[in-house]
This record gives sequence, structure tokens and C-alpha cells, in this order.
Amino acid sequence: MSKTLSIQVNHVTRVEGHGNILINLKDGKIEKIEWQVPEAPRFFEAMVRGKSWQDIQTIVSRICGICSVSHSLVAIKAIEDAMGISVSKQTDYLRILTHYTEYIESHVLHVGYLVAPDLLGQKSVVPLVASHPDLVKTIIALHRLGNEGMELLAGRMTHPVTLKPGGFARLPTETELRAFQAKLKAAVPQLVQVAEAVLALAGKLPDFRRATEYVALVEPGTYTFYHGSIGSSDAPAPVPVRQFESVVNEYVSPQSTAKWCKWHRDAYAVGALARFNLNASFLRPLAKKTAASFGLKPGVCNPFLNTVVQVVETVQVVEHALELIDDLLSTGIKPEPVMVNPKAGEGAAAVEAPRGILFHRYAFDDKGNCLKANLCIPTNQNHANIQKDFEAFVPQILDRPPEEIRLLLEMLVRSYDPCISCSTHCLNVEFV
Amino acid sequence: MPRKEINMNPTVVIGLGNRLLADEGIGLVILEALARKAAEFPAVDFLELGTGGMAVLHALAGRKTALILDCARMGAAPGTMRRFTPDTVRASDVPSCFSLHEGNVLDLIALARRVGECPERIIIFGIQPETIAPGETVSPILQSRLPEYLGVITKELNALLT
Repeated sequence: MSKTLSIQVNHVTRVEGHGNILINLKDGKIEKIEWQVPEAPRFFEAMVRGKSWQDIQTIVSRICGICSVSHSLVAIKAIEDAMGISVSKQTDYLRILTHYTEYIESHVLHVGYLVAPDLLGQKSVVPLVASHPDLVKTIIALHRLGNEGMELLAGRMTHPVTLKPGGFARLPTETELRAFQAKLKAAVPQLVQVAEAVLALAGKLPDFRRATEYVALVEPGTYTFYHGSIGSSDAPAPVPVRQFESVVNEYVSPQSTAKWCKWHRDAYAVGALARFNLNASFLRPLAKKTAASFGLKPGVCNPFLNTVVQVVETVQVVEHALELIDDLLSTGIKPEPVMVNPKAGEGAAAVEAPRGILFHRYAFDDKGNCLKANLCIPTNQNHANIQKDFEAFVPQILDRPPEEIRLLLEMLVRSYDPCISCSTHCLNVEFV
Repeated sequence: MPRKEINMNPTVVIGLGNRLLADEGIGLVILEALARKAAEFPAVDFLELGTGGMAVLHALAGRKTALILDCARMGAAPGTMRRFTPDTVRASDVPSCFSLHEGNVLDLIALARRVGECPERIIIFGIQPETIAPGETVSPILQSRLPEYLGVITKELNALLT
């Protein structure tokens, strides 16, 4: 083949750049394939230094408007680890429920808002309203359900205010929980509708496979998003969360301002596919049935199927949420005053954010002021893996027209559901 | 599929932005100051939506009127506040569609219209930033004009409610 091709997809939006795709091909020979991340550093680790333990989760929740619950929860768990604070089963269950509302929002939005337009040949979700009104309205209704759950449990639609080290600043009433449970139950047919819509389109996802190391939280007997230690498809035994730095092995890549990560290989993947590969046997019945309908089995290594697993996980969190609420209601919601005496110490924690495993570490002085912080987000852990996917995928699609190559690579990036930046959303407008 | 909530007011004021990036948070600073006067506006909901993206869609659903307060690059002098409607502007940046994290409020309003959940009246107050960089306070020039912003928006609210 003597094809010469240059593809450069630059997306510079708001103050930061987003990811860029760079492919250079000369006389049939690949000269350069790069996934570049040129976004500006955000300094959150410096920002929390000197701040009180009481303010940390509020500040770090601003890292992301989509996964602000995950950032709050992991910060709170790390603070509790540092100060030796334990929480009640009620707090534990309510936190997991709050976390699930974020999953409903995030996964539904990714599937409906970013991936469905690709599979239905549209540029964005807006034209889909005309061609597939029922699907879009179902997506919005499900997202709204997550939003309402977050308002109830986290205190508002985004950037939680009720989640605190030691417990909750405001507890939902049993009546409120019962009403939310009824809405979740009523949403199950809508979830099945989305799963069926994705199933009908899944054949359009490229059949690309690359042997990959998958990393996620693992907890015996549970499809876990919140508890557990660090598992890998390449490791014989899980690693304690306190040792997360020995897993992520952050390094600097010249093609990125974000740090990259590697563990047993030169890259690893986190996210829905990783969780499924390590924990699929613990899915609830309807989630298991949904996975089977897609033919999904542990060992799947097609990154495009991350989206399909997100559908399965949405079913999983709704099923498990219904059970958690039953359990909470069976004992009743009890007032639990939050009592914390700050003390010096260092702690680390992990949760599964929708995009993958998320780590925070903090150290505090004896007044509870933060001395240092280390945060490692899922998308940074995926950057090297996206690069390795590009290197394997591009040679397989070189015979396609340039526009198709470009679209397929954009779809590959989107399948990772990257959290590139939501630090600003400043409107840039021209008057017309 | 209009959203019906028992306690939802027909008018909503939405603050958008990021408090940790200096003037990016001006919409939230104004909202906080306005919300202190909430007792004067019992028929108005004041919502801080930060960088919550799609949450804006749900906050708009079922309302008759929405005021949106946001930092906006409009080519004006820093500190300038302009009142405009979604139909009088277009976004000058192009979304990458790589990520859910680029919520553009104009796109969300377009989506709300398409699904029939858009308030009849949307008014955006855009404030031209001086600095968008790590920082927990807005620039002195914006801070000094806060009373003026509050005066204009309060007047608008009073006019809408009468």
C-alpha cells in the first residue's frame, strides 16, 4: 500500500485543550500515531494544602461536574482512613446509594448522549430527537431519575453537600426513600428499552480486540463500586488500596500534560470493562441477563464494548439500589449525629468512579489541616491504553477512507468515556 | 414529559460556573448573593448548578421563566454584564464530543426546546471575565460591580414577577 495520509483532530475548547488525535502516514508507512492530551494542569493537590479536613470533599467535588459524588466519597474515605473514623451500616448503604445515582446519570448520559449519535449516524444528540424521539426522551427520563436521587441523597443535583466524614449532614426520610424506590422500580422497563436499543445497534461497534490488563476494585462476592482492594487481570492477588502508588506508577509522557500510568504491561485500562472482567460473576440477575443478551463474558477485550457494559452496570446499580433501600427500610432510618475529632495522620482510599478506579491520599496535621494530597483519576490511567489501542487499531483500518478512519478513532476515544476536563464551561459567544 | 414537582416554582434563577477558577465562578457569586434575598422572591427557585452540565436540562423542565447567570467571553471589557437571550447569540467554540464534560448551556437549551421542555422565556446574564485561572475569589473589578449586577437582576426579576 502506498497510501499517504494525515489526520489531525484538534479540539481546543474553552481555556483548556481537549484530546487531540494525530496520525501521519507516508507511502503506506505509519510515521506517527498519537493520542495527545494538552489540557492545562489544575493544581487541586496544591489547592487543598492547608485546608481543613472539613472542606476537602467540597473542594475536590469540583474536579468534575459528572463524577462529583465519586470525588467526594473517595476524599471522605481517605480522611476517615487517616483519622481512624468508622461509619455505621446505615451511612455505608446510603453512600453506596448516592454513588449509584451518579452511575445512573453518568452511564445513561454517555450511552445516550455521546455514543448513540455515533451508532445512529448523527453528529450529536440534538438531531436524534427528531429521528429517535422515544429513545432520547427515555435517556432524559433516566438521567432525571439519577438527578432526583442525587438531590435527595447528596443534597443537590451536583457537587454534594450532605456527604461528610463520619456520616451524613442530612438524612433522607423513610417516606422519601420509599418514593425514590418506587421511581427506580418504575424505571426498570425503561432500562430494558435502552438495553434493547443498544443491542440492536451493537453490531455497528467495530470488532477490535487487543489483549489488555484490566484494573478495578475487587471485593469477594460483590460487583463492587465502593469497597475492596485493587485487582488486576494480570495479578494473582489484590493489592491494598493504601499501596495504590505502586499500582499506578505515574509517569510523564511528552505527548500529554496529564500523567500516564502503567502496571504489569506498558498500559492498563480502567472503567466498566475492567469492572466487568474482574467482577462479572457477582452481577445481579437482571444485569447478568442483560450481559448475556449482548454475549458478554469475562475476558472481553474490545474497548468499544465499554459502552455496552455501562448499560449492564446501569441495570446492576438499579437492582442493587432496590435491595439496599429494602434493607434500610426494614430497620428504619435512625438519626446519627456526626462526631469527629480531627487528628494527625495519613490515609488513602479508592472508589470506582463511572470512568474507572479513582484514588485519593491525604496527610493531616493534629488540627486536621491538610499537609499533602495525591489524587489519581481514572482517565489519566487510561491515556496510555488509548495510545496502545490506537497503535493496534490504525493498521487494521488503513484501507478505509480518511473520514471513516477519523470517525472510528473518535469513537474509540469516546468509548473510554473520558473525563478530560470539566473545570470550566465558560460560555464563548458571538452576538448574531 | 414535563416535570411536575409540588414545590417547584415557575421561575428559576440558575448560577453556573466554577468557584475555584476566579471569574469563572461569578455566576455562583451572584446567585449566592441573590439567594440571600430569597425571602423577597417566594415564587422563585435559586439553583447553583456549578459545572453540572445536563442538570441544567432538568432545572429548566417544567418552568415558565429561567434566568441564567454565567461567566461569558463576549469580547467586552472585563466586568461588563450583558443581558441576552439564546436566540441572539451563537457559541463560538466547537465541542469535541469526546467527553460529557463540555456542557454548553446553549446546546442544552436547544435540546430542551427539541424535547418540548424549555421555558417560554430564558434570559442569560453573561459577565465578561478578567481572569480565568486557579483562584477562589473573583477579580476586584467584578467584585466591585457586584451591587450593580444584583440591582439589574433584581429589577429584571421584579419586572418578570409583576
